[in-house]
Amino acid sequence: MRISIRDAGEAKIVEVEGDVDLGTSPDLRRTLFETLLHAPKLALNLAAIRYIDSSGIATLLEVLKDSQRRNKEFVLFGLSPAVQQVFHLTHVVRIFQVFQTEEEALGIA
Amino acid sequence: MSAGLHLKLVMPSDPRYLPVIRGAICPLAEAMGWDESDSRAITLALDEALANIIRHAYHNRTDGLIELECHETADGLEVTLLDKGEAPDRTKICARAIACDQPGGLGTHIIKDVMDTVSYRATPEGNRFTATKLLRKTI
Repeated sequence: MRISIRDAGEAKIVEVEGDVDLGTSPDLRRTLFETLLHAPKLALNLAAIRYIDSSGIATLLEVLKDSQRRNKEFVLFGLSPAVQQVFHLTHVVRIFQVFQTEEEALGIA
Repeated sequence: MSAGLHLKLVMPSDPRYLPVIRGAICPLAEAMGWDESDSRAITLALDEALANIIRHAYHNRTDGLIELECHETADGLEVTLLDKGEAPDRTKICARAIACDQPGGLGTHIIKDVMDTVSYRATPEGNRFTATKLLRKTI
């Protein structure tokens, strides 16, 4: 799994590539929690994720709760069919703000 | 008529092996006749079962052993996982309702939703997880 972070105005975009599973989700969790401290809005690009398991979904739920506690925004975009399938299987798709594109996620579309 | 497909693997309880196992399961499910989406779901369910063993039976120790066996039956797929870690607490399996924003316990719900039958048994050889998935053929 590879993670990169970039700025988009006041927001931070986190890009993840590869597999998010029991072995890699702790790294993603650390990065998202840390990045959330430094921006009012965090958008996570899931387009290059090949695989995500329930530990990855649990990580996203934890970050969402933390963002709500801090009065910040955490949004997702670029879900592939494989990732969407896991969101549906875990019944979390409606819990998150999910967008198709980065522009939509940032509210500039 | 050729024998059904059969795969037996022994892996350490180390999460770094999970992608390796996923790389074997998904094409195996496709070879048995499932489409891409179902094969992905089966792979996810087995990955979740393996992750549960690593986390709960071996408490994230990486030196345990897990035996995985996939067997093509007349109806579909039967999977057995055997470990020698701590036995699962059955009262905690799928104890929490899904469709809420709590992060724990999602894996067992995925397994139950994807597979047609799931069982956990303590045996003299260790903890035995068995799951089956029916291949619903269309003519």
